[in-house]
Amino acid sequence: MNEQHTMKAFDGDLQDLARMVAEMGGLAEKQIADAVDALAKRDGALAQRITQADANIDTLQREIEEKAVLTIARRQPMAVDLRDIVGALRLANDLERIGDLAKNIAKRVIALNGEFPPPKLIRGVEHMADLVLGQLKAVLDSYARHDVGKAMAVWRGDEEIDAMCTSVFRELLTYMMEDPRNITFCIHLLFCAKNIERMGDHATNIAESVHYMIEGRPIADQRPKGDTTSFATAGAGHRG
Amino acid sequence: MALYDTRRRRNNIAIGLSVGATLFGLLWLVLILGVLLWKGLSGLSFAVFTQMTPPPGSAGGLLNPIAGSLVLTFIAVLIGTPLGILAGTYMAEYGRYDKLSSVVRFVNDILLSAPSIVIGLFVYEVMVARMGHFSGWAGAVSLAVIVVPVVVRTTEDMLTLVPDTLREAAASIGLPRAYMITRVAYRAASAGMVTGVLLAVARISGETAPLLFTALNNQFWSTNLNEPVSTLPVVIFQFALSPYKDWQNLAWTGALIITLAVLALSVLARVLTSQRKSS
Amino acid sequence: MNVASVSVVSSVRATAPDTHGLTEKISIRNLDFFYGDTRALKSINVSLYQGKVTAFIGPSGCGKSTLLRILNRMYDLYPNQRATGEVRFDGQDILSPSQDLNLLRARIGMVFQKPTPFPMTIFENIAFGIRLYERLPKSELEGRVQHALQRAALWDEVKDKLNTNGLSLSGGQQQRLCIARTVAVRPEVILFDEPCSALDPISTAKIEELIDELKNDYTIAIVTHNMQQAARVSDYTVFMYLGEMVEYGDTTRMFTTPNDRRTQDYITGRFG
Repeated sequence: MNEQHTMKAFDGDLQDLARMVAEMGGLAEKQIADAVDALAKRDGALAQRITQADANIDTLQREIEEKAVLTIARRQPMAVDLRDIVGALRLANDLERIGDLAKNIAKRVIALNGEFPPPKLIRGVEHMADLVLGQLKAVLDSYARHDVGKAMAVWRGDEEIDAMCTSVFRELLTYMMEDPRNITFCIHLLFCAKNIERMGDHATNIAESVHYMIEGRPIADQRPKGDTTSFATAGAGHRG
Repeated sequence: MALYDTRRRRNNIAIGLSVGATLFGLLWLVLILGVLLWKGLSGLSFAVFTQMTPPPGSAGGLLNPIAGSLVLTFIAVLIGTPLGILAGTYMAEYGRYDKLSSVVRFVNDILLSAPSIVIGLFVYEVMVARMGHFSGWAGAVSLAVIVVPVVVRTTEDMLTLVPDTLREAAASIGLPRAYMITRVAYRAASAGMVTGVLLAVARISGETAPLLFTALNNQFWSTNLNEPVSTLPVVIFQFALSPYKDWQNLAWTGALIITLAVLALSVLARVLTSQRKSS
Repeated sequence: MNVASVSVVSSVRATAPDTHGLTEKISIRNLDFFYGDTRALKSINVSLYQGKVTAFIGPSGCGKSTLLRILNRMYDLYPNQRATGEVRFDGQDILSPSQDLNLLRARIGMVFQKPTPFPMTIFENIAFGIRLYERLPKSELEGRVQHALQRAALWDEVKDKLNTNGLSLSGGQQQRLCIARTVAVRPEVILFDEPCSALDPISTAKIEELIDELKNDYTIAIVTHNMQQAARVSDYTVFMYLGEMVEYGDTTRMFTTPNDRRTQDYITGRFG
C-alpha cells in the first residue's frame, strides 16, 4: 500500500505486525538450517540449543496474536487492512508449526545419541531441507513485498518437495530391508523427512495466505499433491 | 502578572460604567413611576371607573375615555392583526426568496418608526376630510395603521425562527404547505406571535397624536363610532393642559391607569414566552 | 459522455450486485442535479429494491444527502434547485411537474439527522400524520398510534405519558418518535438521512436494530458517514465521490474486497 492512513498510528500498527512476522520467519529459517546442520554434523549440543530456541518463536507468535487482536479492536480495519491482519495471524500460526517441526528434528538428533546413519542417506534429507528453506525464504519475501506471483510460484513448487519426500522414503525402505540394524536410524530419518515435507506444506499455506491477503479471495485451483508416501509399499528393488 | 492586573482593572472599569448606566436608566424609570403613583394614586377610586368626565369644577370619572380607548384598541387590533399576520406569513413562508418580500420588509421597517402624527394626518386626509367629520372609525383605523407594522415584524421574525428542519419534517409526511404553516409553524411560533400582538396593543394604548386628528374627543357618552370618541390619551392631554385642579388630578390618574395597563400586558407577554420555553 | 466516464460507468456496472428475483422499487437513471449553475450530481444510475437496505457512503460534499432528498422531491421547497433525468417509483417518473408532491411524500417517508418532533404531545405527533389522509374512529386511531410506537421500539417507554410534549423526550427517544411518525402514515419507502449522527451509541444501536426489523416490510435507503454502520446495516452500498457514483455493490464484498482504489482508500481511512 503506497498511501498512508490518515491516522499514522494505524500504519505503525500494521508495520509492527509485518516486522514481527518477518522476525519470526527469520528465526524459523535459522531453526531449519541449524536442525539439518545438527543432523549432518551429529551435533548434540546444537540440537539442545535448537530445542530451547523454539521458545522464542512461540513467544513471538503470542505477541503477534495479541497485537493483531488489539489492532482489530482499535482500528476497525476494513478490506485490505483487515486481510493484512488476518494474513499476519495465519502466517504466525504456520511459522510456529514450522518452528515446532524443526525442534522435532533436533529432538531426534538427540535421540539418535551417537548412532548415526551414513552421510549418503542424510544427503537426501539435506537436499529436501534446502528446497524447503528456499521455499520459505521465497514465500516470506513475497509476503514482505506483496508479490502474488512469487507466492504462486512457491505454491506450485511444493510438488517437487513432495516428490523428493517420496523418493527419500523409498530409499530408506530399501535400506531398512537390506539390513535390520539400519531400521532405528532409518525410522528417525523417515520422521525427519516427513517433518521437512510438512514444513513445505506450511510454506504452501503461507503462500495461500499471501494470495488471499493480496487478491481477497482464496486460490481457485486444487493444491498440487505429489506426496504419495501414504501409498508407498515395500516394492522390491525400487530406487529413487 | 502585570498584564493580568491591567486587564482586571479595565474589566472593573467597564463593569462600573455598565452598572452606572443601568442605574441611571433605572433611576428615571423609578422616578417616573414614583411621580405617577404619588400624583395619581390618590385619585384612583371606584368613581373613576364609573363616572363620566366632568365639566371643570365638579367631580367625575374617566368612564367614557376608558371605554372609548378599549373599543378603539379592540377594533384596531381586529383590523390590524389579521393583515399583519398574513403579510408576515407571506414574507416568511411563501415569498421568502421573493423580491416583493424585500420591498415589503423595507417599507414595513419605515412604517414601524413613522411618526404617529404623520399617520394621524394621513387618516385625517383620507377619512375625516372625506367623511366631513371626526369619527371613532377614523381613530380605530389610524391605530390599526400603527398595529400592522409591529405585527408584520414580529410574525415574520418568529416564523423565520422556526427551523427549516421542522418544515421539512412536516413536508416529509406529506403535509401540504398551507397545513404545514397553520398547524406546525404557527404552533411553534405562537408564543412569539401573541407577544407581538400584545406589544402592539401596549404601543397603541398610549398613542395620542393620531387620535387628535381622527377621533378627536367627546365629553359625553357615545356608542356611535361615526361620531368623535373620547379616548384616554386625548383626555389626559386636554386635562393636563387645563388650569383646573380636578381636571389635572384626573389626568394623573388616567396616566397611571394607562401605565399599569401597559405594565400588565408586558408581564403577560413575558409569562407566555417563558411558559412556552419551559414546556 | 467522454471516454473516462464511459469506463467508470461500465466498471460500476461490472461490480453491481446480483439482484435477480428482487422487486425494483425505485429506479434512478442518468440523474443530474443542479444548485443554480453548479452540477452537484453527475449521471447517477442506481436502483433501490423492496426488502433491502441500500447505504450511500462517501466523504462530505459527495452528494449523498442531495441524492436522497431528490427521492422525495424535498428540494422542491427551495428555489434554484433542479433535477434532470429519470427517477421512477413503481414505474412512475416522480420528477415530472405533474407529480403530486404530498402524495409522493406520504409514500416515501424521511427521517432526518436532527430529531424534529412537532410541538405537540407524543400522541398528536403520530396521529397528526394519520389524520391527514384517513378518517378513523378514536379507538382505531389509538390502535394505529400504538402500533407505530411499537414498531419504533418506543411504546414501552412512553405508553404512560402519551399526552406529554414530544420535546420532553431524550435525543434517542425523539428520533424513534420521528421514526414512528414516519411509519404511521404507512409509506412504502423510508429514507434515512444520517439518522444516528446526533445520538449516543446505545440509541444508535437501537435504531440500527430498528432498521433491521423494518427492512422486511419497506424499501430503505440510508445515508451515513459512519462506514461501520453502513457495513452493519445495509445489503447494498453505493460509494459516491464528488457527485459521482464510484462503486455500487454487495455490502459484504465492498467492505472486504472493493473494486475501485478510491473506495478502498475511503473505507480504510486513507482519504485526503
